[in-house]
Amino acid sequence: MPTEERPSPMPDIAVASLYQRNLVTRHTGRAVRLSIEGLVSELGATSLTVLDFGDVAVIDFSCADEVVAKLVLRAVDDGAAESQHFFVFRGVAQHHVDPMDCALRRRGLAAAAQGPEGEPFLIGEVDPAAYRLWQAVCQAGHASPDDLATEVGMDPQDCGRLLDRMCARRLLRRDGRAYHSLFYTFAQAERGGNGRGATDSGASGRADTSGRE
Amino acid sequence: MSLVIEVPEVLDHKGFEVLIRDLNRVTRGDVRRVVFNAKHVRWTSPYGMIGLLAAGRVARERTGAAPSIEAPDNRDVRSYWERMDFWHVAPEVYDLEPVPTRAHGTSDALLEITPIRSHHDVHAVVERVRERSAAILLNKLHYPRPSVIQFSVLLSEVCQNIIEHAEADGWVCAQTYNYRERLGRDVVMLAVMDVGIGFEGSLATEHSRRHGERWSAGMALERALLHGESRYRDPGRGQGLQAIRRQVDRWDGELAIRSGDAMIASPTQEWGDLAHMQTGLEIFPGAQILVVMPARPEND
Repeated sequence: MPTEERPSPMPDIAVASLYQRNLVTRHTGRAVRLSIEGLVSELGATSLTVLDFGDVAVIDFSCADEVVAKLVLRAVDDGAAESQHFFVFRGVAQHHVDPMDCALRRRGLAAAAQGPEGEPFLIGEVDPAAYRLWQAVCQAGHASPDDLATEVGMDPQDCGRLLDRMCARRLLRRDGRAYHSLFYTFAQAERGGNGRGATDSGASGRADTSGRE
Repeated sequence: MSLVIEVPEVLDHKGFEVLIRDLNRVTRGDVRRVVFNAKHVRWTSPYGMIGLLAAGRVARERTGAAPSIEAPDNRDVRSYWERMDFWHVAPEVYDLEPVPTRAHGTSDALLEITPIRSHHDVHAVVERVRERSAAILLNKLHYPRPSVIQFSVLLSEVCQNIIEHAEADGWVCAQTYNYRERLGRDVVMLAVMDVGIGFEGSLATEHSRRHGERWSAGMALERALLHGESRYRDPGRGQGLQAIRRQVDRWDGELAIRSGDAMIASPTQEWGDLAHMQTGLEIFPGAQILVVMPARPEND
């Protein structure tokens, strides 16, 4: 997905709590993903959905593939120039990481996550240089390639290419010349009133994830 | 005619091989009814116990009549079968008259024999073992706390293997033992079985043409367990077994999968008796999975 220097619209945001203690079986994962996709389809052409894993005790490899990897895969594969969908996985504890990381790696994907204390990290397939750059963007909130290149000691052109690649992988968002972390985007969108449930009603948007059909 | 099959005194994964060798004397048409004589059974592992259900199911399919079973004489074995809910599940396979009542109160089993028919059963199993597995893994096996969730994930993945690939129902059960002679430590044994299409059948459409005449049950097991291949082209598929293998390896345990006429084991341990690959075994339908998780040495 090419990124451009023109201003990008602020995404609609939604927060979906996964009201499932056990995210196990492919069948359940499919049901959960479909309900999240339904939620995303009600948002604008540019969206950022935060999936809260705070209540999830167990996620197995099959379910991680159905929920995490396939949501990210579809966001990355979406060829429509006018639409951009981002996902952030929040409340991701150590015991969630192995299945999620494995599922993403098998498809060559990566995703932005936050630990239980809010610490940002990437899961899935990311090379170390890209990871350093992503961390620098997260620390700054938003930054230009020139500033980031100095920060991480990289050639500005290489830095720009790597940042664009991370935008295409839906790990960062580009707005004009600046690259924004998804966490910064979320905070900014909340302040700007782009959140569906979050700002309209003061409550989080909810995906019906009662996946045990 | 009726055929009496003597159930081996020690009904573990080796006893199961003896059992199905005798069962394979039953071919369609020549035997009307099979009687499994378990009177002399002295010891049973989870693998052996659900193996007896699997063998009964096959006997039923081959003869068209539900087989019967003679209960063990040994009081300890009989009590153990009761505690593991064998008699509760057996009427689905065996002609039992009268059906023995559930005599036991609270079971000490990690997981009693549980039929796996749908994803609901997998959810139920994962929920049911949570507290028991925490007590056993932390206190008896001295595993670290994250192992409780890792065991739930392992359990979910092995059970899903039935739902996603077997095209038939199956069973799961798990129990703790003291492996005094071999290891001098406790182990958890987990067994999962079905009598469905097996690995060779499941992977055939996607992989058999590529391998031509070399295609076999052993190769199908190798492709699935060591290379993460499945019946689907989707790269997200086939990761479950590989994840189980990695986890069992981290616990210094053993994992074996039998299907068709082959059995693959990886990882294996010096204290175990599983060969990396056995072929030319008695043909038996479906897949039979054995996981052995040893306690960590006290001074570890």
